[in-house]
Amino acid sequence: MTTLLEVYDLSKSYKLKGYWYNRKVNNALEPLSFILEAHKTLAIVGEVGSGKSTLAKLLVGAEKPSTGKIKLNGQTLEAGNFKQRCQHIRMIFQDSGTTLNPSLTIKKLLDEPLKLNTELNEQERIHLIRNTLQKVGLLADHMNFYPHMFSGGQKQRISLARAIILQPQVIILDEALASLDPSLRSQMINLLLDLQQQMGLAFILISHNLGIVKHFSDDMMVLSGGKVVEYGKTHELIKKPKHKYTQKLLMAQNFQLLSK
Amino acid sequence: MNLLDIRNLSIELLTGSEPILAVDRVSLTMKEGEVRGLVGESGSGKSLLAQAIIGVLDDKWKVHADRFHWRGQDLLRLTPEERKKVITKDVAMIFQEPMACLDPTTTIGDQLEEAIDEQLLSGNFWQRRKQRKKSIIQLLHKVGIKKHIECINSYPHQLTEALCQRIMIAIALAKKPLLLIADEPTAAMESTNQGQIFRLLASLNQLKNMSILLISHDLENITHWTNTITVMYSGQFVEAGTTNQIFNQPYHPYTKALIDCSPKANIHLPTKSRLMTLPGSIPILQHLPIGCRLGPRCPRAQQECVQAPKAINHHGHQVSCHFSLKSSK
Amino acid sequence: MAREKIYQEEEFPSPFLQLWQIFRQTPVAMIGFGCSIFLIVLAIFSPILTPHSAIESNLDMLLLPPSWDDSGNISFLLGTDELGRDMLSRLMSGASLTFGLSFVVVVISLIIGVLIGSLSALTTGIKASFLNHFLDVILSIPSLLLAIIIVAILGPGLSNTLWAIVMVLIPQFVHITRNAVKEEFVKDYVLASRLDGASSLRILRYSVFPNIIEKIISQATLAQSAAILDIAALGFLGLGAPIPLPEWGAMLKSGIDLFYIAPWAVYLPGLAILFSVVATNLVGEGIRHSLKLHKES
Repeated sequence: MTTLLEVYDLSKSYKLKGYWYNRKVNNALEPLSFILEAHKTLAIVGEVGSGKSTLAKLLVGAEKPSTGKIKLNGQTLEAGNFKQRCQHIRMIFQDSGTTLNPSLTIKKLLDEPLKLNTELNEQERIHLIRNTLQKVGLLADHMNFYPHMFSGGQKQRISLARAIILQPQVIILDEALASLDPSLRSQMINLLLDLQQQMGLAFILISHNLGIVKHFSDDMMVLSGGKVVEYGKTHELIKKPKHKYTQKLLMAQNFQLLSK
Repeated sequence: MNLLDIRNLSIELLTGSEPILAVDRVSLTMKEGEVRGLVGESGSGKSLLAQAIIGVLDDKWKVHADRFHWRGQDLLRLTPEERKKVITKDVAMIFQEPMACLDPTTTIGDQLEEAIDEQLLSGNFWQRRKQRKKSIIQLLHKVGIKKHIECINSYPHQLTEALCQRIMIAIALAKKPLLLIADEPTAAMESTNQGQIFRLLASLNQLKNMSILLISHDLENITHWTNTITVMYSGQFVEAGTTNQIFNQPYHPYTKALIDCSPKANIHLPTKSRLMTLPGSIPILQHLPIGCRLGPRCPRAQQECVQAPKAINHHGHQVSCHFSLKSSK
Repeated sequence: MAREKIYQEEEFPSPFLQLWQIFRQTPVAMIGFGCSIFLIVLAIFSPILTPHSAIESNLDMLLLPPSWDDSGNISFLLGTDELGRDMLSRLMSGASLTFGLSFVVVVISLIIGVLIGSLSALTTGIKASFLNHFLDVILSIPSLLLAIIIVAILGPGLSNTLWAIVMVLIPQFVHITRNAVKEEFVKDYVLASRLDGASSLRILRYSVFPNIIEKIISQATLAQSAAILDIAALGFLGLGAPIPLPEWGAMLKSGIDLFYIAPWAVYLPGLAILFSVVATNLVGEGIRHSLKLHKES
């Protein structure tokens, strides 16, 4: 399998403002490295404050890393250079209520990344939007609706459409499935699996729900307090967790993983 | 004797054109010391049901039922004010996001003091203040908060969600209720904290014999903490029975679909295979299907499903389906 | 089951239309809106609509009372003032001066304030603070006093009054815009736009402004009622419009001396000012009320 994404020694620390002398430094993320291949999913697990959202922002380019570099297909990605990145790495956010601009129709919403990054004319854009909406299971007529008319599950599908419309190679799911009902979650997971097969995508799933992680991911990385606590193949980690923190996490959701 | 006995409760939403039946003939019974789970996805009306029991729905909702008994007393004959008085004496409720439910401008100590019932304090009025402080500290110890001095002097935003939820439970316990309704108490929390809150509720149930109605959308999560479960879908009653019956022998196709979504059922599935789901999505209030509301999505639906099914009782395991999985076995 | 419509058509309006529908259902707001439209029409079309000239005096018809009085004349519906000018025509032309000018003043200060506010929200650090607060010193001076100072420096006249009131209203728009834009920037869809490669200008235009326009408009109505009162007050002090122009405040001033002989010369312009301020406030209240209801639903 081709290596899509390589991350070396990525870390991020924030200087706390307000101190003119003795600047305190907040290490949001200690240096970490990993490799991601096509058709594979990496799950990042950790509690609040463990650094997983920082990692997501670094990967997608919203923040500049303090050290380390990210390579995609052999090319180094620069922070802040969104045009280079957005064709390859896209992100789906958690709270579907604020991910969609309430005053734009879905057509305009999906048009924006196309207008900024591709050179298609109007006809081709509408055709692509139509196809993408059908791929995620919505109707082409939904183009003309406003976001407030959709349910939570449908809004997540629209976010997914926005992510895949530029045919990226890596999609980051920042707790995207957490707020959905269980049956909708299963539907989304099926959809993501299908898309992964069809388009050869690699997913980075950030979640704290170990049930989804177990089913959906190939590799797993556990973060705590900004440090990588464990990293390895999912089924090995779940059967034999080495670190105390992983064991604690598994115990809390233990009932869901062992048979009664 | 049943603590709470509700039969065929319906809640209508009075809109402009026609009233919409948000909750359609749901029955619920609770015994003393029982922990019952009320499971349903969003739009199932479970929060509406809880609010109807407590009596906090406003004028645009109309509630009617065949039977609504509390400890043998028929509440339907009373006026809404009297009903509220009877219920709020013995029933307490905790909600979903605890930090948002506490007043951000007053300290925890002040809020707890407000919740203490005047009549439970004995003694003359100059001793009341000390007694109040003592009972607050007792309440905090009951919910497992040892550092009570720090807690009493802090504001809600300085505490974690799990701690705020414990304080909510403490406020609920101040009235010594017989029934505690917990409306998705752990939805906003991490998994380790969820376990803490559930353990606290279970210990309260055992020590004080307090019944708990645990509302959740995750069937898997609450099976470890409940004795009986009621499942609702889109405002209709689907299935009710003991936890064992529901989880291991579901009769209704919807319950079976919910169990299929849970990770335990999927342990045996190979990684990255498709999960079993029901097609379609939950109907919105404006477009509710006629008859059995699962009809459009149900794999076993046939023409009879245009009529809403009645609840059938199989040895304490009630199902409301024309083609339940029992009848085909 | 008979129904009016065979197909259950549902309309899916855009957020603006939704606000408009809520606004339409508040009767008080619609009354205010109707009155504002009436005043705007008057302001634009007054040269055509006035029965007599507002400036030329009619020396044989001095101080005629309004037509419902015994000695009044029907051709001068609301009477005349001390120079024989028709009150009705004066009031109508005054609409274009007091009300129309207040509208222009608000629009100018809105544009300048929103520009400065957006710039301040886009930058961070000292530049942002500077932009945000350098006009705050104007907020500390009462508006009338500031207008008097400016007029004292630049001389009396209508355009100087205009600039004085524009300066006073700008800081409010700067603050409101900056806060609203900062609030929008932390939302996920702005981040999504930025990740798509949109420039800051594009984000402002498509993602941010449509969502903050209602807050700016509700502030604009507040500013307009203040502007009407300021223009009238300046006119009353003699610092605003020059004498023959029928500005309502100036009319009040010239009518005050004759209050006992001809009270209509005072109360009619006063009523006109009251009417326009109330209409503006009702519209503003209606907008804020619909915003609140829209957020709740």
